[in-house]
Amino acid sequence: MRIKAGIIVCTLALLLSGGCQSNNSGSKQLTLAVNSGVEGDALKQAARDYEAQTSVHINIVEFPYANLFEKELIDLTARAGAYDLIMLDDPWFPKFASQQLLTELTPLLQSKGLQGPDQDFVQTSIALGREPYETGALYALPYVGNSQLLFYRKDLFAKHNLKEPATWDEALAAAKLISERETTGAPGGGKVYGYVMRAAQGNAAVADFMPIFWAFGGEMFDAAGKPAVNSPEGIAALRFMLELGKYSPPGYASFNADEVGAHLLQGTAAMSINWPAWISAFNDPSRSKVIGKMEFTSLPGAKNPGRAEIGNWLIAIPRDATHKEAAFEFLLWATSGEQMKRSALRGNPPTRKSLFNDPELVTKFQAYPAQLRSLESSRPRPRTPFWNEIENVFGIYLSKANSGELSPDDAMNQANAEIAKILERGK
Amino acid sequence: MPRLRRFLNAANKKGLGFRVSGFGSDRTLAYLLLAPTLFVLLALSIYPLVHAISLSLQITSGGAARWSLQNFGRLFSDQFFLAALSHTLIYALSALTLEFLLGLALAVLLNRQMRGRTFLRAGMLAPMMLPTVVVGVIWRLMLNPNFGAVNGTLKGIGLNTTALTWTSSPRLAMLSVIVVDVWQWTPFMFLILLAGLQAIPQEPYEAAMIDGSSGWQTFRHVTLPLLKPAILVGLLLRTMDLLRVFDQVFILTEGGPGFATETISLYIYRTAFRFSNFGYAAAMSFVLLLITNIISAFYIRILQARESG
Amino acid sequence: MPFRRAHNNWRLCLRLEDLAQAGLTMRRHLQYPLLLAVLIATLAPIYWMLTISLKREVDQFAVPPRWFSFTPTLEHYSDAFLNRSFGQYLVTSIIVSVCSTFCALVIGTLAAYALARLKMPGGLNRKLSLWILSTRMFPPIVTAVPLFLMMRDLQLLNTRLSLIILYTGFNLPFVVWMMRGFFVEVPRELEEAAMVDGDTRLGALRRVLLPLVAPGLAATAVFCLIISWNEFLFALVLTQTDAAMTLPVGIAGRVTQYEIKWGVMSAAGVVAMLPILVFAMVVQRYLVRGLSLGAVKG
Repeated sequence: MRIKAGIIVCTLALLLSGGCQSNNSGSKQLTLAVNSGVEGDALKQAARDYEAQTSVHINIVEFPYANLFEKELIDLTARAGAYDLIMLDDPWFPKFASQQLLTELTPLLQSKGLQGPDQDFVQTSIALGREPYETGALYALPYVGNSQLLFYRKDLFAKHNLKEPATWDEALAAAKLISERETTGAPGGGKVYGYVMRAAQGNAAVADFMPIFWAFGGEMFDAAGKPAVNSPEGIAALRFMLELGKYSPPGYASFNADEVGAHLLQGTAAMSINWPAWISAFNDPSRSKVIGKMEFTSLPGAKNPGRAEIGNWLIAIPRDATHKEAAFEFLLWATSGEQMKRSALRGNPPTRKSLFNDPELVTKFQAYPAQLRSLESSRPRPRTPFWNEIENVFGIYLSKANSGELSPDDAMNQANAEIAKILERGK
Repeated sequence: MPRLRRFLNAANKKGLGFRVSGFGSDRTLAYLLLAPTLFVLLALSIYPLVHAISLSLQITSGGAARWSLQNFGRLFSDQFFLAALSHTLIYALSALTLEFLLGLALAVLLNRQMRGRTFLRAGMLAPMMLPTVVVGVIWRLMLNPNFGAVNGTLKGIGLNTTALTWTSSPRLAMLSVIVVDVWQWTPFMFLILLAGLQAIPQEPYEAAMIDGSSGWQTFRHVTLPLLKPAILVGLLLRTMDLLRVFDQVFILTEGGPGFATETISLYIYRTAFRFSNFGYAAAMSFVLLLITNIISAFYIRILQARESG
Repeated sequence: MPFRRAHNNWRLCLRLEDLAQAGLTMRRHLQYPLLLAVLIATLAPIYWMLTISLKREVDQFAVPPRWFSFTPTLEHYSDAFLNRSFGQYLVTSIIVSVCSTFCALVIGTLAAYALARLKMPGGLNRKLSLWILSTRMFPPIVTAVPLFLMMRDLQLLNTRLSLIILYTGFNLPFVVWMMRGFFVEVPRELEEAAMVDGDTRLGALRRVLLPLVAPGLAATAVFCLIISWNEFLFALVLTQTDAAMTLPVGIAGRVTQYEIKWGVMSAAGVVAMLPILVFAMVVQRYLVRGLSLGAVKG
């Protein structure tokens, strides 16, 4: 009995000492928080390359999109300093930057003898890393140049004599026609839906709605900064979204990127607003049933010309990062032209003009001209530190309207009232 | 452990042993032995509670915190909070009712010596022992509209499953999360009630038999009243767990679609860790704590009334 | 010994009660089909996850679902535990649950002994017991924010130690309540005899009382292990890096992904589930008592 107890105690002591060891002080160690997905994978691989070239060890922490923001916010506001570098989606940036949670990059650039960020960065991309937008101090560099594109099945469009949709009305007419005619046209004999939307609450619904909203003349905020989503234009845009939803697969009000991607890859949907990260998947035979059949173009317009939502991935250094200098070295290295080209070859759109025109890349990614057009004319989501809360609320109402729980008028009026409350609280 | 032994030896040397111990040294020893527990509990429950109270009474604007009742005022006008609260109550009430009725039926039907009882119990125990996160994963796999086993099996027997999108349908999502809870926790109700049944002495049954009561009458007038403590304990423990439900919903639906399955714990979590509004999250926590306390006080009162009566 | 006795009593009650309810013969016919249905409903979902973890991706998505016929593969297990960090999460889970269980048992057993055997004035024994139990009733989300801020101030975020401390706290009320119940059941005379023979109080606790309640202690330990092993909310809030992530947090982190890696998730799920199922088998006899915190006896 006593011997046994002794063994147990020794084991526990060992385990416990192991448990307290977690804070070892390797000087050349960086911790990097990335999105799990193709964008994060590219940075992860870059980190492995970097490790091979230098003596720096990089710990990667990977989170799905939905949790990454939370984890970063917790670490940054708690000033725990666990992350040396964070990858962040651009709409999160105002929240972090306005609360002074990031390290200003200009002094670090100057210490390297640089005046400012490379002029090669696309204007709309580098503007995202400044607080205030476009004009303020620089806190982040853009790494992945995502902006929305319209994906459509060129084979089906050709088959039914449809031309590339330049307006949302044309897109709707095409969606209707394909839905009606292609009842057995999918691989395996199923129905092809004319359109596939993602309208799950939160980021998904808002991202798919914004281009329609803008094209119809809607604006989140009026000139005085008051919310204005329930303007006649805004309500008309939501009505249109529901109209388009009639040609979307059932249950789309809870679709996220994965469901939309699956429908397009399986050939069961003909059109969608989507992100460039998916482009390479369509030519991967192990995943795609529509190889060579997908075309990518800039977004349709309506009252206003079509403009995509920008959704760049930025990299920043938290204010309380433990190894700022080393982190900055890596940041510069990873966003350099040479490294970003490697990332582009791994399927991530660059944020540098030179790479969008790089002959090797353009032959490989034929959508690059369309992507650059879309990126340069893209709009950011409203730059407010409350975007995260606003998007949450707005997404809930958009999702409710799409699932039929609320009428478009009610949804927009209620969303407007809730957004007003958020702004009021923030004062 | 060596440290513990040293502590115990020291305690002995100070004359706390039996031979010299009177009432007083027993008391000292008691305090000594209780001290670590009380310290840990004070640090990990009472201090956080006090801290939460002070958080809930502050609001931060422009980097400076000031005292205010605003967080509590907001509770009544926040329709998301009210919706989350009502979802939690609907969830708790439906799951509790189903678990209780199913558990009781199973306990009564299976309350007997039978072959394979050990095996049965072990099998029945499995769901309630599993990490809730794993339960969430299991049911995401089962309920997936495209390749999940539930729809696959239904299709196999010739049913049209296109409308059965389970967790992604606003109408079915709440039902889905409730079904998952029932799957995981009915065994718990069953076991508690079975134990309760087995602790009932046989005399009342003999008396009932002599009176010529029917099976139902016996159940109604003998079994149920005698089972009351077990029922109350089962209901109490389940109610407390249901009101705080977080893990399964977090995995299965994340509160969606829309807001259809957002529970109060999930909304508090989001408010605190996504919107960094710790004060309002603390204020909502108090409502949850209050509701939990009122309900458990209610159960405990019934339980004690029976004990003393 | 007390357990044996109680068990026999139960069996006795059972037979007599059956006699009393002989009118319900229907039960007899329903019993086995019902039993089978319940068992299938209970175990099929778990089995389904097991098969997903062993299936190649083409078989995972097959319609109609393949319950039995598929080519098993271990690729998801090696992917999860060799290529991804699940091995590390597993180690963290083990360390955290074992250490917190050990701490809670040591601290809690001493307190339980004091409450069961050492009389304090003013009915303090009963009041303290109830108070200790009541701390268990807090919904965890209530204390999540303050505890998070506390761990931040102690610079313990992202450490296993923070989880060990918290889980010790969660398990304490349970340990105290269970062990108090076990101690009360042992007749005082056994200890007193030892003390008359010259043992100290604590000596008697160690040499007489503890061996007698050893099965209860073991059952309590297993419950604590299970509770710590399964905990999710605090592990989620307190860990931002791989250094201190437990299995449930690791699994949850794969769930809401872009593209869901069902195989990896299921493989990790199976590994998270197996130790618990083994433990559940071991302690199933004490389970009801444990989960009802000894209160069913009334």
